[in-house]
Amino acid sequence: MRKKVIIDTDPGVDDAMMILAALRSPELEVIGITSVFGNASGYATALNALRLVELEGNDHIPVARGSDCGLIVEAQMLGTAVHGEDGVGNTNPPPPKGKWLDISAAQFIAQKVLEYAHQVTLLAVGPLTNVALALRLEPRIVELVEQVVIMGGSIGAGGNISPVAEANIFHDPHAAEVVFSAGLPLVMVGLDVTLKVIQTRQYLDEIKKADNPAGHLLNAILPCYQAYHDQAYGMGGDIHTHDPSALAYVLVPELFEVEKVPVYVETSGYGFGQTIADRRGQLGQRQPVSVCVGVDAPGVLKLIKERLTK
Amino acid sequence: MRRFWIDTDTASDDAVAILMALRCPDVHVEGISVVAGNVPLEMCSVNARYTVELCGKDTPVYHGMARPYLREPHYAFFFHGPDGMGGMNYPPPKRPPAERHAVEALIETVRAYPGEITLVTLGPLTNIAAALQLAPDLVEKIPQCYTMGGAACTVGNITPAAEYNIWVDPEAARMVFHSGLPLTMVGWELCRGEANLDKEDIEYVRSFGTVYADFAIDCNRQAIITNQEWLHDPFLPLPDPVTMAIALDPSVCTRKSKHYVDVETTSELTRGMTVVDQLGVLNKPPNVEVCWEINIPLWKETLYKTLR
Repeated sequence: MRKKVIIDTDPGVDDAMMILAALRSPELEVIGITSVFGNASGYATALNALRLVELEGNDHIPVARGSDCGLIVEAQMLGTAVHGEDGVGNTNPPPPKGKWLDISAAQFIAQKVLEYAHQVTLLAVGPLTNVALALRLEPRIVELVEQVVIMGGSIGAGGNISPVAEANIFHDPHAAEVVFSAGLPLVMVGLDVTLKVIQTRQYLDEIKKADNPAGHLLNAILPCYQAYHDQAYGMGGDIHTHDPSALAYVLVPELFEVEKVPVYVETSGYGFGQTIADRRGQLGQRQPVSVCVGVDAPGVLKLIKERLTK
Repeated sequence: MRRFWIDTDTASDDAVAILMALRCPDVHVEGISVVAGNVPLEMCSVNARYTVELCGKDTPVYHGMARPYLREPHYAFFFHGPDGMGGMNYPPPKRPPAERHAVEALIETVRAYPGEITLVTLGPLTNIAAALQLAPDLVEKIPQCYTMGGAACTVGNITPAAEYNIWVDPEAARMVFHSGLPLTMVGWELCRGEANLDKEDIEYVRSFGTVYADFAIDCNRQAIITNQEWLHDPFLPLPDPVTMAIALDPSVCTRKSKHYVDVETTSELTRGMTVVDQLGVLNKPPNVEVCWEINIPLWKETLYKTLR
């Protein structure tokens, strides 16, 4: 049986790559996409979610629009310098044909997790606002969700949006704290592994050359993302692999080494958005989560390319 | 008919406020949403449904958020009694709660009657914050929200700085205050001292001889005791009914003005403090209508009318 997945996402260039690969994965049944602000505005990311399901004939998959700002904090320092104002590399694509659902992302998540008890994997690769809201709306999610895999955080690799914070957590640290403290079966795919999976310029060229709608789209939207990585890290056209790594965990968890450790989120001061691993239980009694600390990078890269080019 | 929605952490004074709205002849209460606060969610629901049935109504009672956004739950049994109703141990209500989630039901009702629903909040603002987060369009569609909460430029009750409803979920309150919702804040300072029902007032209410009058006093019997021991305040304070009186008859509030109001969420000492920029020194656009003064005889008469 195919694994039921809800993708909660702020597309976003790497989100787009991940979503297209997920929709092309026969092991997965994507039962919905929920959007959230982050890499771009809540409006832009919702439009992109619709475009991505429509691109390769998946428009039967519902899209629910989510939050435009954090639980407590306003939408700030959005990823538009990385992903473009439109979230898709400033390519100004035409509007999608479809429309998002009447219910919001958090309601959709709560409904589906209850409808398909113990079957839904939630793959959350943006700020965790929708997930936190869903948990408060429907506390039974903690028992009924199969697994929650997030892209976000960093326990030993420093930050990207600040010296210590990863961008998804930074955009809504309060929501992240709700999620990390909830007692969920949670897997964190953070910078500890995503920075180790490098998609080289040559690798990306092969994906861009694929003669399918996914390849054509990625060819158009990746240059902006590559340019940011070059400007920020001097990577010369190579990029880190954030959201696609989280998908790789859902598909082949054996590609990762995990450490079980409680994680806390800082919500104020210089450490705003930092994820803190409490290995010796000094901060309290919080239930551990699975933090990815090692990765078979060639394995992840092979898997993603295979999904996007075949 | 005016359409109301009541959001409540139903314990004793909430129950009296609900009764006032249900017994007001030109008001139709579209729904009651309960939220954890004075007592746990299930107990709020039982108390709200008992009150609805006492009034002979079938108003749906929807279950909302079972805990604050970020903070641990905190209950006020010490003030409202072990059942939230002064230890009266009323019989269980006959009807079950409505099936839908309170936040969803509120969103749908407001959208069904845009510009018509007067929202009255009597508890922590968790449900309202969630509704606004899920459906930002509600800000344009709710013409008026009366909120029992906060303390304008004065002392608090649960801490020296903060009033209970805001203190329980300060993050939710902050979201709602900054949401753009047309909000009128009824602080607890308007609901103490002279505004309380004193010994004569209570005897007067008892003299009505109705089930409503007895209910209003009986379910508050723990509150009458605790209020005097804890806050050294005379007899019976009724913050939620004062707020409901203003919602039913805005002329009960005799002085109000609009200010920038923020809620403290980071300090431990002043958690949940409602900071009113009375002098406008922050130069930020006003977001909350603050009530400063009420007509006490009119507030009491507004209550009495619904108890006779």
